[in-house]
Amino acid sequence: MYGKGLRPLSIATVVMFAITLSLVFFYAPIEADQGFLQKIFYLHVPLAIVSLCGFVVGGIFAILHLRRDDPRWDAYSYVAIHISVIFAVGGLITGSIWAKGSWGHWWVWNEPTLVSFLIVFLLYATYYPFRYAIEDRQRQARYASVFAITAGAFVPLNFLAVRESASLVHPRVFATAEGGLPASMLFTFLCAIATMALLWTTLVKFELSAKSAQGQLKRLRRALDAPSGPPSSRIAPEVH
Amino acid sequence: MLALLLAAAPAIPNDVGGKYVAGAYIVFVLLLLIYVAIMGMKLARIERDLTEIAAIAEERKEGALPAAGQAAPGRGSEEPSISDSLAPQGSRGGGA
Amino acid sequence: MTPSRTAFAAILGKDLRAELRTLQSIPAMALFAVSSFVIFRFGLNRTSLSGSLAAGVLWATLLFAAVLGINRLFVAEREEGGFDAIRLAPIDRSVLFTAKASALVIYLMLLELIAVPIFALFFIRSAASLPPLIIVLVLADIGLASAGTLISSMAVNSRARDLLVPLVLLPLVIPLMIAATAATEPLMLLGGVSYHRFGTWLMVLGLYDLIFALLGYAVFDFLLED
Repeated sequence: MYGKGLRPLSIATVVMFAITLSLVFFYAPIEADQGFLQKIFYLHVPLAIVSLCGFVVGGIFAILHLRRDDPRWDAYSYVAIHISVIFAVGGLITGSIWAKGSWGHWWVWNEPTLVSFLIVFLLYATYYPFRYAIEDRQRQARYASVFAITAGAFVPLNFLAVRESASLVHPRVFATAEGGLPASMLFTFLCAIATMALLWTTLVKFELSAKSAQGQLKRLRRALDAPSGPPSSRIAPEVH
Repeated sequence: MLALLLAAAPAIPNDVGGKYVAGAYIVFVLLLLIYVAIMGMKLARIERDLTEIAAIAEERKEGALPAAGQAAPGRGSEEPSISDSLAPQGSRGGGA
Repeated sequence: MTPSRTAFAAILGKDLRAELRTLQSIPAMALFAVSSFVIFRFGLNRTSLSGSLAAGVLWATLLFAAVLGINRLFVAEREEGGFDAIRLAPIDRSVLFTAKASALVIYLMLLELIAVPIFALFFIRSAASLPPLIIVLVLADIGLASAGTLISSMAVNSRARDLLVPLVLLPLVIPLMIAATAATEPLMLLGGVSYHRFGTWLMVLGLYDLIFALLGYAVFDFLLED
């Protein structure tokens, strides 16, 4: 039953959202360098961080799928990656808006975290056509798990490579964070990350619950010998 | 009270920075709403399929007990739940 | 020799002999590379290249030529039952991965043996500084072969076979390309060779090789399940 913890989880998410938004706009001080624009930081960075962690979690679920040979883990892996891709889109768009506000361009190549993130997103975007190209369901699940594990291992490597190639001319956004984020900003930031993590978990559970409902419907149809409904997605794994 | 709150809160500056911040948060909200819409469509589909299957199940049940008649031994008066009233009454209720 | 090593030698030998006999992949890759160089000459409107431009042209071309070879890597296995043979044999199945990846490394090195001197001939003024390029090429080849073998083995069992390898492999090897070009660029500077951060980039390449070789070896067994 995937919907089981969904109510307390979503309530917690809403509460955290309210707290975080209040903190961002009423508590966190205005930053000296970037002014009000810096407030995007509390949105963009948690989106990106949670998205990346989500990809790694998807890889872990994939490992469990291969080791336990249980198709449920493939579904978990798929949904984890799916939600993380959506968060990644959000991260890229907010990052682009921030770049436009800071440096006047909608895209900048010398912000290494943004560039690494784009590359990771590009890789995970190929997850869908990759799954689609493999017809046999079981094989599709297995290969998708291999992909998820490979891509998960790729994430830190990619960040390392891009970071090494970064020009040190532009002050990196996290330079301020490493230099010493004031406590109020740090606290707000941590709340923002917690909120995004809760949102991610809520959405994953939500998605799994919907898939489970569809799976139960299929089961009902089969039990009643009713005609099967229109074919469902060819790539989304079924949850039973 | 409201005045105090407004006094303490920094108003959103209508300068460049403010517009971008607003834009970013709006994008986030829109993404979330698009997701809700898509899930809403999935839910609608599930509901449609469920009604179809419920109808099939009821037909089967009635078809299986033609001789036993429609006898419905007293179940006591249960308060109908909202979902019961939402579900179409099928062959029993007739159109309403 | 342990059974795995015998199998490794057998598969590798078979591949190399087949390639030598039919000459499918390597001439195609080499010709593709040379044609690409010509296209770059006109596309960029340059008759000589140096620094980052030279490194970029060289590595982009090598990568796209490699994809040609990677596409074909498992085709024979699939068509002639090589996968089944490995499944039935009482050995560690990952030996297919190591054998195929090694074959691919050899193809890539042969490709570079032809393509890099021609590149230098076309575009580089003085080739005296190029020898350290060899180690960059070797390290990059190992990484490219590991990732390429992994993706190719999955793509060969899919519908859009030729499409899948470039699609998935290219983002996957971006860190490799970043490191390779960054290591190559100082070697091709007009002003004079510099070994600026050469060691750092070699380490990144080595790390990539290690991770992907181990990964490929570890998961290959699951890929062969039926």
